[in-house]
Amino acid sequence: MPIIVNLDVMMAKRKMSLNELSDKVGLTLANLSILKTGKAKAIRFSTLETICKVLHCQPADILEYVAEEEG
Amino acid sequence: MATKKDYLLIVLHILSWIIFVGLLVEAGGFLFNTLYTLLYNPAGAANFWMKSDLSGLYSFNQSHFVTLTVIMVIASVLKAIMFYVIVKLFHDKKLDLTAPFNESFGRGLYNLSYLTAGISLFTYWGTKLSASLTEQGVSLPSLQELRLAGPDVWLFMCVALLVFARIFKKGITIQHENQLTI
Repeated sequence: MPIIVNLDVMMAKRKMSLNELSDKVGLTLANLSILKTGKAKAIRFSTLETICKVLHCQPADILEYVAEEEG
Repeated sequence: MATKKDYLLIVLHILSWIIFVGLLVEAGGFLFNTLYTLLYNPAGAANFWMKSDLSGLYSFNQSHFVTLTVIMVIASVLKAIMFYVIVKLFHDKKLDLTAPFNESFGRGLYNLSYLTAGISLFTYWGTKLSASLTEQGVSLPSLQELRLAGPDVWLFMCVALLVFARIFKKGITIQHENQLTI
């Protein structure tokens, strides 16, 4: 998928563990893991809002568009 | 409301088991009577399954007798397999009402539609054969007694099940995406 989730990068910048983020955001570890590994099909605005609030960042810091190579 | 739904499912489960066993007995009965008539006692044709009289057909032409009885056996075995699929869906606890759109249930629906297509094909063949034999003056029991009635109904059921299976497949995709929405 051309949308890359850079959650792990932001977590590393803020020196926050997955457990800590899970507690603060209110998502289960399993769901956060799905998001972090890029397996998620969609993200709710409310989830994105909470993550941005906790990590003090913008949505663009977490989500990135990378064009797929043709062929 | 939930209790009522569970109760209905239990009743349907029991009903499916009863129909499955009944169809299995019927298929076995057809098979046994055919083999008994062919290998042991030709008089068995006069007292076929559920007192159907196939002695006229047997004396007219043995290969036609074999063809018709094999069609009856195949159709009833397919019906039994159909209910086996339904019973299996209940028995394997694949019917999860919290997430009903699962792969195995979708596959089951497709299998049911293919089985009904097969039943329709064989009952149609049996109906045509029976009509052709009656035209030649052979006395035969009714199609209901031969369990070959309604090939068109089976075909309608096949198409309806295929439509449901197709919609169900879409439902599986939507549920999957929904589960992966964080």
